[in-house]
Amino acid sequence: MKQYFQLIKDPRFRLVQNDHRPFIDGPAPRRVRLNREGFAMVPGVKKKTLVSPGTLLAEHPSPDKGDLHSPIYGVITEINARSVFVDAMDPAEAEPGAFPPLPEPADLLRQGLEGEELVSAVKKLGVNTRSLGRRAKTLIVNALNPEPGVRWAEPMLVEHADEIRACLELQRRFRRADEILLAVPTGCSVRFSGIRAVEVEPVYPNSVNELLIKEVTGEEAPPDVAAVGLHNVWSLGRVALTGLPLTETVITIGTASNWANFVVKNGSLVGELLEFLHISLQNGDTILRGGPLRGESLDRLDRSITKGAYGFFVVNAGEVPPIEGDSACVNCGACIVACPTRIDPRMLSRYAEFGKYNMSRKENFRLCVDCGLCGYVCIARRPVLQYIRLAVKRLEEEERLAGLTPLEPVGKA
Amino acid sequence: MSQSNNDILLAISTPPFWHCGRTIRQNSLHTLLALAPAAALSLIQWGVPAARVMALSMVAAIVTEAVCQILMKQKLSQDNGTAAVTGLALAFLLPASAPWWLTLIAAVCAMGVGRMAFGGYGANQVNAALVGWALVFVSFPIPMDPNAAVLHTSLADPLFRAKFFGGAAAADFPLADLLLGRQLGGLGATQTGALFLGGLYLALRGVIRWEIPCAFLAGTFLVASAFHLADPELYAGPLFHIFSGSTVFAAFFLATEDSCCPHRRLPMTLYGLTGGALVMLIRVFGVYADGAPFAVMLINLLAPMFALIRSHPFGTGPRKAKRTSDNEGRARS
Repeated sequence: MKQYFQLIKDPRFRLVQNDHRPFIDGPAPRRVRLNREGFAMVPGVKKKTLVSPGTLLAEHPSPDKGDLHSPIYGVITEINARSVFVDAMDPAEAEPGAFPPLPEPADLLRQGLEGEELVSAVKKLGVNTRSLGRRAKTLIVNALNPEPGVRWAEPMLVEHADEIRACLELQRRFRRADEILLAVPTGCSVRFSGIRAVEVEPVYPNSVNELLIKEVTGEEAPPDVAAVGLHNVWSLGRVALTGLPLTETVITIGTASNWANFVVKNGSLVGELLEFLHISLQNGDTILRGGPLRGESLDRLDRSITKGAYGFFVVNAGEVPPIEGDSACVNCGACIVACPTRIDPRMLSRYAEFGKYNMSRKENFRLCVDCGLCGYVCIARRPVLQYIRLAVKRLEEEERLAGLTPLEPVGKA
Repeated sequence: MSQSNNDILLAISTPPFWHCGRTIRQNSLHTLLALAPAAALSLIQWGVPAARVMALSMVAAIVTEAVCQILMKQKLSQDNGTAAVTGLALAFLLPASAPWWLTLIAAVCAMGVGRMAFGGYGANQVNAALVGWALVFVSFPIPMDPNAAVLHTSLADPLFRAKFFGGAAAADFPLADLLLGRQLGGLGATQTGALFLGGLYLALRGVIRWEIPCAFLAGTFLVASAFHLADPELYAGPLFHIFSGSTVFAAFFLATEDSCCPHRRLPMTLYGLTGGALVMLIRVFGVYADGAPFAVMLINLLAPMFALIRSHPFGTGPRKAKRTSDNEGRARS
């Protein structure tokens, strides 16, 4: 009876589906597009350079962002401000020695590196350590599917247990968190030795890190507790097992009627994936990278699956009620009921709509955990989450500017 | 296949890309569906005059909304059905004998003054249908009084009897009669049994939040019981008060108008309880026989006050607030 009175009764919000399907390797890409925003290209890598899988292309100046490697044999066809394009080539066709040698596998588990040395070794292999190496008393590994529709977490705990075990071992050697916990869905019997497992009700939005921490510790926003997603854990585990730079990502590809989990090369073009899966699109369909509640929609088929992406979905035209222009808030209060952080998305979205960003401060806009439920339940089909993100962005920018010291005019007598 | 993919035009949108599927229009259609049984019973009971009032009220409400939207340079939104719902809700409160001009004035005022003057659907602070009803009820008491205006009927007004002949007179009205709408009052609002079922449907569907009707009826029940226990001769019992007049209609369909009620659980409960209690206070101490519509208008005005009751947002509560969270948990369970 309970579910009848609830606002959200979508069975897809249950994050455990008990439908195990093996991981499928994605297609061999004909072309990849790698995001290089914020990266500095390695000297010598330019247009027409031949690259092998694992060839270092660009480095990130930040110590906790992984470097960029080529996922395939190919030739760099274009480098612009945002992306690097690599067209695939068959190494058998080129003359021997034309391609750079494959990198030597580095066995991180055997090498015995610890602490900061290990962090920098991992960074060089392309893994982001911002959340994996969070300094906290307790670090919770979030083994729930990050969003409804994304389904790789459950089978990953079983099929890729080696990766996870290897990652947990490396994480221990980072020596940044005192205790590492594993949050698993209720009823899941997977355990790893030496790691305390905590069962969490697998219902969205419990998989959002902030809310997961509350479910695990029983406290809202406790100090010194952080969470890291299983996707990131898998990446580190993969690198630990292969010893090669990270060039793959796990994604769920889903449409209205079907889904499957894939291990695809970083930078695979979504057009090639759709072709591989024989998914044909219609005018007005939406394709999105990330999850159905928090992801981003793509405008073209030559966009790619980036390193952190955990899903790719097709939402057909007519599957959801369309957003019709700038519809006004009707004060129905559904977003207020749905909001897990008990803030007021109704007023926040209105403040942003009319440019009154300052008013958002009163309404604790910073507590938004970006779960997207407000937009999911909005009967007026307002982009509520987008409005809140806009306000957050604007205010952060404002605060950043306020922190700068204004330049004094020079040479004014 | 890929060739066709390359030619298609993708739609760009903002997250979330999934949606619960609930829209304003769907909510309106569900509400109309929930009102349908009561409307049907009312047609059986009153025949053509009731059909006339309901149709005129709905058409007048829709046309008024359209005219206002044209004047206000807004997009026309008659297709979302909210004007039809308001028109029908208003008709339910009018007597079957209401003359055309009375219905017209009520509907035009409901939409014009009650809703569009505030900016449109969802911006009004007081239920629009009630604004129209209150205006004609106060201005034209004689044609609005079913006891004076509805002549060709053998039905009696239970609240009128209870008020002026004492609670014992309530025994003339068996509960079954009240539930089946064999009572004099608003043409649809008195079909309490059908409305109760309709309201239950809406609550199950999640169109209205169940806390408000529950608390509203509980408030009426508690206060009526208190009066009844104090003097059964003078004051009728709680079930009589719930199922006579427009209490059920107010609880499920009027008090729950989204823009006029608070949305968090504890405020909704208090809002409902206050409304239910006010119904009884107006019936016992007021000059009007049926207090429900006025009670709803009063709590509509109090709603912003109730909405001020809210818990600390996520993780911002004082650290020692262990007890606060306990209280919250209790209010939720």
